[in-house]
Amino acid sequence: MSDLGKVRIRIPSRIVPGDVVQVRTLVIHPMERIERDAQGKIIPKTYNYIHRVVVTYLGKTIVTFDTTQSVSENPFFSFALRAADPGPLKVEFLDTTGGRYEGTVQIKFS
Amino acid sequence: MRSSPTVTRRRMLETLGAIGVAAASGVLTAPRPARAQQLGLHESVDGALKRVFGSRPIRDGAGLIKLDTPLIAENGAVVPVSVRVDSPMTPTSYVKHIYIVADKNRIPVVTRVTLTPAAGQAFMGENVRLGETGDVRAIVEQSDGTLWQVAREVKVTVGGCGG
Repeated sequence: MSDLGKVRIRIPSRIVPGDVVQVRTLVIHPMERIERDAQGKIIPKTYNYIHRVVVTYLGKTIVTFDTTQSVSENPFFSFALRAADPGPLKVEFLDTTGGRYEGTVQIKFS
Repeated sequence: MRSSPTVTRRRMLETLGAIGVAAASGVLTAPRPARAQQLGLHESVDGALKRVFGSRPIRDGAGLIKLDTPLIAENGAVVPVSVRVDSPMTPTSYVKHIYIVADKNRIPVVTRVTLTPAAGQAFMGENVRLGETGDVRAIVEQSDGTLWQVAREVKVTVGGCGG
């Protein structure tokens, strides 16, 4: 998948200072499932899936998701955020093979 | 056999007692798993709840937690779930964790969300996989350690967990 690791972040188009806004984010990732052999035994290997999502706003960690393989392929997450000051909002996705995918949007007030 | 003066029976019992207290209070056990590999184990839902929350009581949070799931999920591979908690988010009292647990999944603990007061509102949404029809629970841990849960049944037409 050539799109692997592409991060999308959606924020409301109009933000008023002090507002609590909902942010939606998505990463293109296979989130590999457990595979079993013919006997139903789990094939031991390192499955590649996102195990941690870290949201940073104005240099501080706001929300963290610890995820398992029970999360869908191309995982989608949403969360709330109090838009206190204009600044960057960064979302980082970490997977079990050491992959690190991140996206940034600027929170600004119109 | 006579015990040596340094290791008396009394001292021995004291030491054993101290080890027992330490084990019971969790000093000797490993710290709480921080990584998802330990969070998502193959286990039953009862085993998962016992492992994550110990014997702490989980209260019914029907009036507090709003768990949004579809009644029927045609595709178990992508089931949107969202949780909103009616709770203030102040530095002294806020929602610390939201857990999503799918009872029938082979890996029951789906996600643990860690929130901070800066989030402004205890809200999370995500897409989960459901293996078969069963309850989906949202368990909320507040900053003082109280636990609340709500559960909703989701009917799954085609399971999405594979394996």
